[in-house]
Amino acid sequence: MMTYPLFKLLIRHAPLLILAMAWEAASRLHLVSPLALPPLTDVARAWFELVQSGELLSNGLSSLYRAGAGLALAIMAGGALGIFMASSRPVNAMLGPLVELFYPMPKSALIPVTVLWLGFGDGSKILLIFLGCMLPVTIGAYNGARGSDRHLIWSARSMGARRLRMVWDVVVPSALPELLNGVRTALALSFILLVSSELIVARQGFGYLIGYLGANGSYEAMFAVVLTVAFTGFLADRVYQAVVARVLRWRE
Amino acid sequence: MSAPAQIIVEDVRHHYRPAVGREVLALENVSLQVREREFLALLGPSGCGKSTLLYLIGGFLPIETGKVLVDGRPVAGPGPDRGIVFQNFALFPWKTVRKNVLYGLERQAMRREEREARAQAFIDLVGLTGFEESYPSQLSGGMKQRTAIARTLAFDPHMLLMDEPFGALDAQTRSLMQGELLAIWEKTRKTVIFVTHDVHEAVYLAGRVAVMSARPGRIKTIVDTRFDKADPEVRRTKAFVDKVDEVWNLVRDEAVKALEKRP
Amino acid sequence: MTAAMRRVAWGAARLAPIVALLAAWEIFARSGAVTPFMLPALSAVAERIYDDALDGELFINIGVTLYRALAGFAIAAVGGVVLGAAMARNAVARWFFDPIISVGFPMPKIAFLPVVILWLGLYDVPKITMVVLDAIFPVVTATIAGIAGVEKELLWSARNMGAKDRELLWQVLLPAALPQILTGLQVALPIALIVVVVTEMQMGGYGLGGAMMQASRFANSRGVFAGIVEIAVIGYALVAVMAALRRRLLGWHQEAQEGAGV
Repeated sequence: MMTYPLFKLLIRHAPLLILAMAWEAASRLHLVSPLALPPLTDVARAWFELVQSGELLSNGLSSLYRAGAGLALAIMAGGALGIFMASSRPVNAMLGPLVELFYPMPKSALIPVTVLWLGFGDGSKILLIFLGCMLPVTIGAYNGARGSDRHLIWSARSMGARRLRMVWDVVVPSALPELLNGVRTALALSFILLVSSELIVARQGFGYLIGYLGANGSYEAMFAVVLTVAFTGFLADRVYQAVVARVLRWRE
Repeated sequence: MSAPAQIIVEDVRHHYRPAVGREVLALENVSLQVREREFLALLGPSGCGKSTLLYLIGGFLPIETGKVLVDGRPVAGPGPDRGIVFQNFALFPWKTVRKNVLYGLERQAMRREEREARAQAFIDLVGLTGFEESYPSQLSGGMKQRTAIARTLAFDPHMLLMDEPFGALDAQTRSLMQGELLAIWEKTRKTVIFVTHDVHEAVYLAGRVAVMSARPGRIKTIVDTRFDKADPEVRRTKAFVDKVDEVWNLVRDEAVKALEKRP
Repeated sequence: MTAAMRRVAWGAARLAPIVALLAAWEIFARSGAVTPFMLPALSAVAERIYDDALDGELFINIGVTLYRALAGFAIAAVGGVVLGAAMARNAVARWFFDPIISVGFPMPKIAFLPVVILWLGLYDVPKITMVVLDAIFPVVTATIAGIAGVEKELLWSARNMGAKDRELLWQVLLPAALPQILTGLQVALPIALIVVVVTEMQMGGYGLGGAMMQASRFANSRGVFAGIVEIAVIGYALVAVMAALRRRLLGWHQEAQEGAGV
């Protein structure tokens, strides 16, 4: 008999298997047009072909590089900004209304302008993701830093900690959960912005590949890449959550 | 005492089944009879199952073994014949005081004017005149509990089940509310089963106090606590103080046992 | 200072940085440090918006975009609450949809746009479908959390007073879960707008996204910036309306939550 936890995992995700089987059946039995919905097994085969030809990997790396770079910049700048705003009243007064103004703006609106500035290549995508993902991190950092236990700060102060040191030793660790939550939002947003911009204006990358295959009529391959992208986003979130759990536990 | 008791609990056992972990025996062979118009306190240490017993009588938990009869019929679920008052008030936060009190009445066959008049009468009875249009979030703890009591009394249940109703209130408010509850009870004379862990409260309010053992709960002893409650100084009389001592001694062993057990 | 004066001062303090930003924009653009292509002056952008308004283009685009976003949002809102309620109350529904929601939530569902276009064609339907696909997830999770979080004493009291199952759902569960459901809706609305704009950019045609992409293709930077301003204003307005709606509906609620904690 399988180990119990594994069995439970299977039961929990069984509906996905059911959907997969329904997909295959619907397509093979021509319940839906196999042109619109190629059989899952054909999609899987196309996926392997894409991997073998190297197309999936080269485009994938391009996409991940762009998202990674943009996100890294967003986290550093956004985090610093949030903490800065939380620790200085005048800065908060100046920048707070601006953050509130820009937060509800659909970041996808920045796609045309980044293309205008930096063209179709990596630069525009990285800039887009940087600008778009900064605010969730800022808000997470801000809320986290604000929640810093006043008593902790006073204790640190009384033990002679200087401002910057104190920020590092006290504010950052207690701000961590909220900050990491903001980063999680930014992570999901980075994927959305990446795929969006690559679908519209790119010569490389996952989104570009999807569009190219679709225009070519290679629908099995297109589905394969679509699913790859979707699951990459899902995996990134799960891995991130696991890492966060580890980091936060280590702190306890 | 020729009439059968209004509430009969016979050989009831109950297990507490948490979502994770093993099941725990909460009540073990509990038997109890409550007469009509009686004010009975269920007293015991934390975790002894007194609330569980109340919920079984109220029909909120399924009965595993044993019998629970109310007015001669077995309990099959919650119903307006057994009105309940909870420690955390359980008021509908999106309804005003008046709407809260009206909720139970709307489920009964009554004309509109009758409902409104009745609701107002009970709001007045608990001393909340003028606060009919307030929302629970605007009320103090004591006022919320008074609303809850008004709401339960309004639909005229045959009996009141009260689950540590004053537990969430500060000491002064609690003391005031005890007096008010007694006054209301004198006026309405319903059967009351009152769960508490406070010995003083139990002896003051109830006519009989059923002391429960630590988990798994049983009825250990039932003590007669009738006093002349109309006397404002009754709590200072020697008889009263002695009675509190007596009951406290009964409870103390159980309380120690409860502390020593693993949670 | 009287209360009214204090409120005016507070409003002015919050407006000041924005005004400063706009002024800085204008000055910086005119200074010659960047070309008018890279950063058109605020005045030039405003003029472009004004022209668009005069010939009606602006209103058609806003109307079309809003229609798609709000239609999708409405469907996601109703569908999400229904699905969330079903999942909260029914174990089979919960078992079936839980992995779908849990796996689907972090997926960039925009990747499915080409598939949706393949199936549903080129006009409003694929755009609205895409919005529903993206916006429904936060509504479902918020509804489940809201309903699961209703304290059992509230339900017991209602049943004690004679409420039947059907009544419990509408009279107790949903009102009690409303704060969290509204939070989910407040998250879903900006998502709806983001998705609509992206689909319009991809597919072209009418709508703010389409117009912006068009301007970008013609290297018309004024048009692009005008689009950004228009979308930003719409986004801000929608969020403000939702916040006001929340205050209205939840006047009884202890905490006046309004979204972003800044």
